[in-house]
Amino acid sequence: MSEKRNQVSRRQFLNYTLTGVGGFMAAGMLAPMVRFAIDPVLQPQGKGEFTAVAQVDEITSEPQRVDWTIDQVDAWYESEVTKSAWVYKQEDGSIVALSPVCKHLGCVVAWAGNDDYPDQFFCPCHDGRYYKDGENVPGTPPNAALDRFQQRIEDGTLYLGKAIPREEA
Amino acid sequence: MQWTKTDINQYKEVTEYVDTLLVPLLPISFQMDSKIEKIVFQGELVKIFANELEKRFKGRILLTPVFTYLSDEEISQEAKRLNKWVDYAKENPFTHIFFLTFDSKWKKCEQELNGNLLWFPSIQSGDLQSDQIRALIKDQVNEVMDLIRSYW
Ligand code: FES
Repeated sequence: MSEKRNQVSRRQFLNYTLTGVGGFMAAGMLAPMVRFAIDPVLQPQGKGEFTAVAQVDEITSEPQRVDWTIDQVDAWYESEVTKSAWVYKQEDGSIVALSPVCKHLGCVVAWAGNDDYPDQFFCPCHDGRYYKDGENVPGTPPNAALDRFQQRIEDGTLYLGKAIPREEA
Repeated sequence: MQWTKTDINQYKEVTEYVDTLLVPLLPISFQMDSKIEKIVFQGELVKIFANELEKRFKGRILLTPVFTYLSDEEISQEAKRLNKWVDYAKENPFTHIFFLTFDSKWKKCEQELNGNLLWFPSIQSGDLQSDQIRALIKDQVNEVMDLIRSYW
């Protein structure tokens, strides 16, 4: 009962913030655009299929989300698509870059996306979960680990390529 | 899931997981007057929002093609037509129906709709490619995502 009430008031609250657009839009304007500021000189030169996404020394042991865009061309359209990855540094200094696309039905997962599982990736669609290394948590809907991006590091910059399913990686 | 052959084929196999229907509502007009720019811009924006939401919630949302109507048509009439869509869609196991729009007229007949109206003010014009507007839209998409999740 009170659970239900909470839901409703949360909904109302979210609705208000959304409709009370004035302050919200202003706040949006001030928010930083991207988490990692990339030296613009580095940006345009994608190394083949690879794109510069972050400075290695800004990557922490806590997974952080990086976004970048690539030009995608199919038979009919050329479009700019946004790609994302969760990146973090392992103890030995090597970097892990995971695809955020859930292996169940393709929703976007978030690190610590659920308060009850602060050190897992969480999928909001059907409560799918993954450990920090990307392995799926047994008993949740996904039946495979998150894809890993091909990576390359040059001059302290991390470049990411294609996302590869774990079996092949 | 998108309204494409590949996605619908997948959808058919997993209907029990896709419990949410998202219908973008969009007015159109052919009068080249002062309002036309706003109407067309709404169209671009609603598609961006819809696609973005679908991308984030691909496994749980089915995004339909846009529901279009003439901008000076009586809205309660359109509400009836829209409800008919919903009636048919309910053949499938949808438990949540959302209508996404930037047309405030729907607010007036929100009660008559067989679903939840996602209406909120957004930008009226601007360069959709600019970093600033992109960041702003992203923020708003996140807010809408939270709102949708509060229904799940
Ligand atoms: S899409 Fe991620 S758990 Fe279903």
